[in-house]
Amino acid sequence: MTAAATGFAGPRRGSLRGRLASPVLLLLPAGLFLGFIYLLPVIDLVRLSVSGPSWSSFFERVFSVPLYWDSLVRTMQISLTVATLCLLLGYPTALLIRRSSGITRILVTAAVILPYFIAILIRTYAWMVLLGRNGPVNKLLTGLGLLSEPAQLLFSRGTVLLGMTAVLLPIMVLSIYSSVSRLDAALPRAAQASGAGPIATFWRIMLPLTLPGMGAGFLLVFVAALGFFITPTLLGGPGDQMFAMHIVQQADFINSEGFLQALAVVLLVITLLFVGVAGHFLGFEFIWGGGKAAGPAAKAAGAGAATPRRSLLSGLADRIGWPVLRLLGRLGPAWGRWTVLVLAGAVIATLIVPILVVMVISFSSASYLTFPPPGFSLRWYEKFFSDPNWMDAFRHSAVIAAASAVISVLLGASAAMGIVRSEIRGKSVIMLLLVSPVIVPPVVLGLSLYGLFLRFDLVGSVWGLASAHAIGGIPLVVIIVAAALQGVDRRLEQAAALHGASPLTVFRTVTLPAIAPGLAAAGFFAFLHSFDELVLSLFLSSAQLKTLPLMLWADINYQLNPVLAVVSSLEVLLVVIGLALAGPVLARTRAGA
Amino acid sequence: MVTELASLAEPSADARMSGAARTQGAIGAGITLRDVVKNYGDFRAADRISLDIRPGEFITLLGPSGSGKTTLLNLIAGFQKLDGGEMLVDGAPIDHVPTHKRGFGMVFQSYALFPTMTVAQNVAFPLRMAGIDRATAERRVAETLEIMRLSEHAAKTPAQMSGGQQQRVAIARAIVRRPRIVLMDEPLSALDRRLRESIQIEIRELHRAIGSTILFVTHDQGEALTMSDRIAVMDAGRIVQIGTPVDIYRHPRNRFVASFVGESNLIEAEIVQRRGATMALRNRAGYVFEADAGHGIEVGRATVLVRPERIAIADGPGPHAMPVTVTSALFLGEILRIEARADSGETLLIRCMDAAGRSLPAAGERLHVSWGAADCWVLA
Repeated sequence: MTAAATGFAGPRRGSLRGRLASPVLLLLPAGLFLGFIYLLPVIDLVRLSVSGPSWSSFFERVFSVPLYWDSLVRTMQISLTVATLCLLLGYPTALLIRRSSGITRILVTAAVILPYFIAILIRTYAWMVLLGRNGPVNKLLTGLGLLSEPAQLLFSRGTVLLGMTAVLLPIMVLSIYSSVSRLDAALPRAAQASGAGPIATFWRIMLPLTLPGMGAGFLLVFVAALGFFITPTLLGGPGDQMFAMHIVQQADFINSEGFLQALAVVLLVITLLFVGVAGHFLGFEFIWGGGKAAGPAAKAAGAGAATPRRSLLSGLADRIGWPVLRLLGRLGPAWGRWTVLVLAGAVIATLIVPILVVMVISFSSASYLTFPPPGFSLRWYEKFFSDPNWMDAFRHSAVIAAASAVISVLLGASAAMGIVRSEIRGKSVIMLLLVSPVIVPPVVLGLSLYGLFLRFDLVGSVWGLASAHAIGGIPLVVIIVAAALQGVDRRLEQAAALHGASPLTVFRTVTLPAIAPGLAAAGFFAFLHSFDELVLSLFLSSAQLKTLPLMLWADINYQLNPVLAVVSSLEVLLVVIGLALAGPVLARTRAGA
Repeated sequence: MVTELASLAEPSADARMSGAARTQGAIGAGITLRDVVKNYGDFRAADRISLDIRPGEFITLLGPSGSGKTTLLNLIAGFQKLDGGEMLVDGAPIDHVPTHKRGFGMVFQSYALFPTMTVAQNVAFPLRMAGIDRATAERRVAETLEIMRLSEHAAKTPAQMSGGQQQRVAIARAIVRRPRIVLMDEPLSALDRRLRESIQIEIRELHRAIGSTILFVTHDQGEALTMSDRIAVMDAGRIVQIGTPVDIYRHPRNRFVASFVGESNLIEAEIVQRRGATMALRNRAGYVFEADAGHGIEVGRATVLVRPERIAIADGPGPHAMPVTVTSALFLGEILRIEARADSGETLLIRCMDAAGRSLPAAGERLHVSWGAADCWVLA
């Protein structure tokens, strides 16, 4: 009877209390925060871009000046090349992770995951070290007699492509892997038992099934490359200017207001266009690593009209494709294995060798960058820890990152609760909005925030910067915590409630412990995101509030001294420790996402 | 029962099969395993297994999980490499032939249908891989879909079909090339009971029609008994016994086979006397009964198998009836399943047909049971 009584006394649907208890409200804080600091500035950006004599006058200028048009074309070319390279190199790597086992698998996975969490700035710096005049590559080539004297390997299109591919490869590998790992292991066996050799199995079975993962990876890499700023600036020559670099350069001129915003809007619109088209085919879930649930079945239902075209294609495939495949099939399985091993081996070397070289150099006794170091010492560590400028920057970064992580976790986790536990309509639209900051080029975000920060006098303030970094931190938290929440068995919560626990007690005793590892991981990644953030800080920080990435950035441009290697090594250490703690959780969310 | 009758009333696979297909139908190949060994680290999954599978035979590997039956199947399919011994198909070694060149058909537990292809494309896949021209392939696919009663589903994708239909597509894909050997890895375990029974019959008919050798793996002893020409019972990486279903059920070689296949009463008894073809035994309660003398056991103790359906309930006490106390009784429809305890403490399981005038005994009731010499099987 008491149960029935409390049931009646509880909040009813439609009453004020009932509405206040709805999980939809949990979306409110994040919604308000992002609305103010993310949507509003972007809208303002668009408003300024159309504020010329006529709405289109700034855009006409963008498209009529050859400098910008050429740069736009170049940006597309570079992004497309990088995405293609990532696809070609990422696929064998994902296959290798899937096929290997035991310690090999752990090492390969670590070689992919670790760079994924190390700042782009630091990974680019590692390439500068590797390819520099006194770097190991030049040393090796001269040592082998291939070069008579060290050559200038940096500052060319080739290094831009190499650097960007290396930086973006982990995204591709993880994206393809999530699709490869979901395959029924019996499928390739069924193909073999049906008489398909390794190549035919790959071509006819594996490739079509992993197409969504490849598409998602390709798009993520392509879109990220479109807005790239750090790597092309550091590794490119004068002929490799990408579009985002123009925006940053223009930002130094006060009189370019309006035109500057138009540049940013062009980049933003192009980015959103590609994401929109991709989302139409793949489902927008690709942005946060989810798959389109009813993909093949839904397509097959509407496939009736496409039959003639398909039979034409399959006719072509029959005449040309099949004989070729059968011919290739005679090569024997060893070829396929070696292809995968060689390609994946190269990828792993590209990902991990630069980091190792930088770590070794940080212990160098030389006063300039050279590899191998003439001797080992801790002098650069001493220099780093005794230099007040570096220590101040370190302190600022840590404080800002901690504040940003707190904001991100509080807002992101409650939003994740709201989205998973409410019955609100249009969940995927809300999720898309929450996660969308991930795809907005950081340069565009930085520029749009600059106006807001000026107006509210937030430039160079700790909380301002922390909030700005939280724009990117919240999506990370939402994705991880939502995945963790979906892993919580609803029946456990129902069982607790049935046995008399109030909603708050249920949350405290059942839900919270279940998602606590997810929360911890999310907090760490939000911290790391802010700790590594450079582009927004370039726009929003002041001379008094230098962060670690800002110090690095300034020093990379002027002096490539080994103190940067020390900072890089410490960052790697931070990531390794963080991953070691968060590893199990991460593995679960990635696999389940 | 209704579905079974319905499926029997339909034209059989034999009749549905066109004359051309039947003459093309490959005669099954014989498989010989000699001292086959497979290790996973320290664990020996296949322990010197020797087996002769006759051409065209329907043979079942039956055993609990971890007994090595799937390992054996994977070895024959070529998914795994032998650590010792040899495998021959029609006398030719196949150890170094890769899976896709062995030319077997295979049905998987998870169906393993290619999700991006339609039913027709799935079934056509092995033919395309064998390099058969499009027109012939289309004809063969249509024939095979007809046999499996899938013709109207040809354009669907696997995701649009039920589990039973998907399994029939998987079977169609496995037999479309008329392979000499078809491997089936627990193909029915994901289906519900009624569907399982009807597909069991379908596979049996199919086997008769196409003549391939079928190697079937299952842990379900009922399935093995219904379907097989011969059963190889496996335990701990070895074949414990191989024989016809009747043989395995009636004359199990040891306690493991006796208790894994069917329900059983294993009675510990002492051999009292031996007279020619029969012997007299006494159980712990002092009840003396006769059994056919097998295995040449002369004296000492023996384990005697009496199947529950071979135990008769006597009308009342008598010299050849053992008194027991009913502990539970279940009415299963056509059968009554009674558990009873002998005075010596042994539990007896009794199954008897439902009949007019027979009432379900209550727990605690005394019954008198008996069995004849031919109903006993003395285990080694």
